[in-house]
Amino acid sequence: MDMTLIGVILVVCMLLMLTSGIWVALTLTGLSIIGLQLIGNSSIGLLMGTSSWSATTGWSLTALPLFIWMGEILFRTRLSQDLFEGLSPILSKIPGKLLHVNILSCGIFAAVSGSSAATAATIGRMTLPELSKRGYSEAMAIGTLAGSGTLGLLIPPSIILIVYGVAAEVSIARLFLAGALPGLVLIVLFMLYTIGWSFFKGNKNGVVDDVRYTTKEKILALKKLIPITILIGGVLGSIYQGVATPTEAAAFGVTGALILSMVLGSFSVSSFLESITGAVKNSCMLGLILIGAHFLTLAMGFIGIPNELAAWIASLGLSPIELIICLTLFFIILGCFLDGISVIVLTTSVVLPMVTQAGIDLIWFGIFLVLVVEMSQITPPVGFNLFVIQSLTGKNILYVAKAAFPFFLMIAIAIVLITAYPSVVLYLPTLMSR
Amino acid sequence: MTFSHGGLFMNKIKHYFYLSSAILSGSCLVMMTLLILAQIIARSFGQVIPSSEDFAGWLLSATIFFGLAYTFHHGGHIRVTMLLSRLSPNKRRLQEFFNLFIGLLISAYFAFYSIVTVYDSYDYEEVTETYLAMPLWIVQMPMAVGALFLFIAMLDSFIDMLAGRTPLYISSENALSGES
Repeated sequence: MDMTLIGVILVVCMLLMLTSGIWVALTLTGLSIIGLQLIGNSSIGLLMGTSSWSATTGWSLTALPLFIWMGEILFRTRLSQDLFEGLSPILSKIPGKLLHVNILSCGIFAAVSGSSAATAATIGRMTLPELSKRGYSEAMAIGTLAGSGTLGLLIPPSIILIVYGVAAEVSIARLFLAGALPGLVLIVLFMLYTIGWSFFKGNKNGVVDDVRYTTKEKILALKKLIPITILIGGVLGSIYQGVATPTEAAAFGVTGALILSMVLGSFSVSSFLESITGAVKNSCMLGLILIGAHFLTLAMGFIGIPNELAAWIASLGLSPIELIICLTLFFIILGCFLDGISVIVLTTSVVLPMVTQAGIDLIWFGIFLVLVVEMSQITPPVGFNLFVIQSLTGKNILYVAKAAFPFFLMIAIAIVLITAYPSVVLYLPTLMSR
Repeated sequence: MTFSHGGLFMNKIKHYFYLSSAILSGSCLVMMTLLILAQIIARSFGQVIPSSEDFAGWLLSATIFFGLAYTFHHGGHIRVTMLLSRLSPNKRRLQEFFNLFIGLLISAYFAFYSIVTVYDSYDYEEVTETYLAMPLWIVQMPMAVGALFLFIAMLDSFIDMLAGRTPLYISSENALSGES
């Protein structure tokens, strides 16, 4: 059968299945079966069996449930409260004051949790009531949270980078290194926007927060940040130093998180068991998607669509920049309807040969992809962070999306920056090879 | 409740079914973590736990497959509910029937061929290509069991729908509304 026809049939089936509300993972598996049927493959079932087996047994993939579990443990501690109390006095002199606490505590929590929704939920639960009590602009409080909640995707350990690394067969440790600087760039951009906003608009909207702190209070506050600093230093430091693989660092992280929850006095058997069931649910959800995605990649390879697409793109003679612009638009549209992980697994099975063909570095592309996915997390109608903040505040999803829009633009600027200066992404990973 | 004694009995069986899915998966996760920690400690004493990386991978596979049914039951598997949630209750019921039907087909295929794959490994007496050669079918067993569990979980929800009840996964999804 003609390849274009097969491609069209598959795209139509995919859209129908996804919009009907069939589970994403099963859609991927179903599409692979249909595709292989269309080219008359006779051993679909056996391909599926071996593909599912190899999709779930990789050593590098073992980091995934461990980092999820670590986040689930910390989610149930009073870490977010400590972050708030530790950061507020220090940031009280910067224009925008506590709004920066939102940004920085999301950034710090992102360094121990791999998920964007978990970051936004954990931090927001603590900061939003406090910010509204002290009279901050509601839109800015929600906007900073929605925007910086997405840092969970980029700042290592990141679940989505592990998924990309496994799918694209790129070193996860290198991806983690590559994500660090762009993450910091984003934090700086968010803070700069907040400072600018409070100069030009802040007073009109009447920020009445005039709580002052003495130097002694500031030093005491710093003490609250010590445990989390040690945990981040231990986990990320061991990866960056090359002492531990991401999996080993994740196992350290789980142990450290358990010790931290005991030290902070929030450890109980029931919260421990809850953290396990939470980790099981998230790992199995991702696991089934990875099984489907692995099979889809295999099926696509048999059908030959990715190579055909890559050849087609090559024949167009687009420059890498033009290709990146086209892909960005394509992903933003895709991200309006799909969650980040699904965007990543769908694209790695089809788009990667095209990207390699265009001579784009796969590590750089991973970070680029995550930044685009971050934007999609705060665009309606499907943006996971919007859902989380909607359920936290009870505000309409469009209101939340509007409040988050400036931060959407900041992420767009970050994408332009890493495209103009790829070394922001690629500098740290080159250090590792030496 | 209008259910007979038999209904209550079924409910108990279902409860233990999903509980065993969660316990099997959770204990594999804990074992995997302990194994990785043990390997780190052993290495610092200059020792090696043979094939520990392979065992960790197999435990990962067991974690994922065993927990599929539990995750499904609690609405953990993601899907696009954007259009679904806008339908009128009657249309939504029909649509959920359709989704579960397609889901049943795919998961039946998945379960059947997972079992075939494991049976083939048993039949051909394949062993793993690792330092400690294990019979492949033993380490692959969770794949067959877990995929079958997922099919049973979907069937359970389908029967719930037929009996006019709302399956738990739908109500959990509504409560979470996108929380991951």
